[in-house]
Amino acid sequence: MPPAVKEKSKKATALPAKAPTPRKSKFQADLAPSEDSMVRVLKAELQMSSNTDFLSDALALFRWAVSERKRGHRILSESSTGERKILIFPRLERVAPEVTLPHVDIRWTDKELGSIAELASGQPADPTDALIRAMRR
Amino acid sequence: MAVTIRRLEESDEVENFDCGDEPLNNYLKRHAWTNQEKISIGVTYVAIDDSAPYTVLGYFTLATSSVPRDRLPKKYVRGLPPYDLPLILLARLAVDKRFSGRGLGHALLSEALQITLRVADEVGCRCIITDAYPDKAGWYARYGFVPLEGPATTSPQKMFLDVRTIRRATSFESSPAERE
Repeated sequence: MPPAVKEKSKKATALPAKAPTPRKSKFQADLAPSEDSMVRVLKAELQMSSNTDFLSDALALFRWAVSERKRGHRILSESSTGERKILIFPRLERVAPEVTLPHVDIRWTDKELGSIAELASGQPADPTDALIRAMRR
Repeated sequence: MAVTIRRLEESDEVENFDCGDEPLNNYLKRHAWTNQEKISIGVTYVAIDDSAPYTVLGYFTLATSSVPRDRLPKKYVRGLPPYDLPLILLARLAVDKRFSGRGLGHALLSEALQITLRVADEVGCRCIITDAYPDKAGWYARYGFVPLEGPATTSPQKMFLDVRTIRRATSFESSPAERE
């Protein structure tokens, strides 16, 4: 048998490398008795038996909420009578875009451009009383 | 009256809004939502009373813009960064006349300036510009807005306020008048 054929045969019979199995990670949390009770009640309401399923669903919901706030969308509930409540959850607000303002073109006259250039290139004015009051939180 | 200022929502009641100026009424009723959500050329913030959370008492609209550096007079260009000058445009500000005299204009302008400072801190901008009606220019001047040169008798007057001045205002715990 020619050597070339012999080598080909060797390659064909070699086993493919086994892909590593992703490790499952454990999640452990110290819950206050009230939170533990809340988890039990929610699991019962949702007809869930395992903590893994509970955490998996909670994670999916939280992930969706984060992605919505990241896009600047508000999350709200609406009652059957049309009453709406907006969810304000401080941790979610951290991922929300601060401010998104669109860009517009302004028509400038030469005099206005000269004036704004002079003001912007100079020293800033002192704030007025009204401005100080307006900026107070 | 507990007032909240937030972004305009589709369900907000704007049809009865009346500030006494038809173009400003019309903008809120016909264009503000479209401009904010569909074509994204201006974001409108509304003042609402917590007891009637969808009735608009007043509003303002903000957008970003810039001054093209190549159009600025050469004698001032040296003192400026080598880029177009980014700015916030306070496009509109109005209060329903049934609620005027209660400090809503101050609250709306205050919020607009707070947002301006946040934008300046987040992405950078150099000033806020507004188009003031000639009879309102004095009100804006009280907050430090300076009129830009140009025709101002009948058309809106462009007015300028430096972001550095706004930032400096935040370092005061009380105004000089209050300290006296």
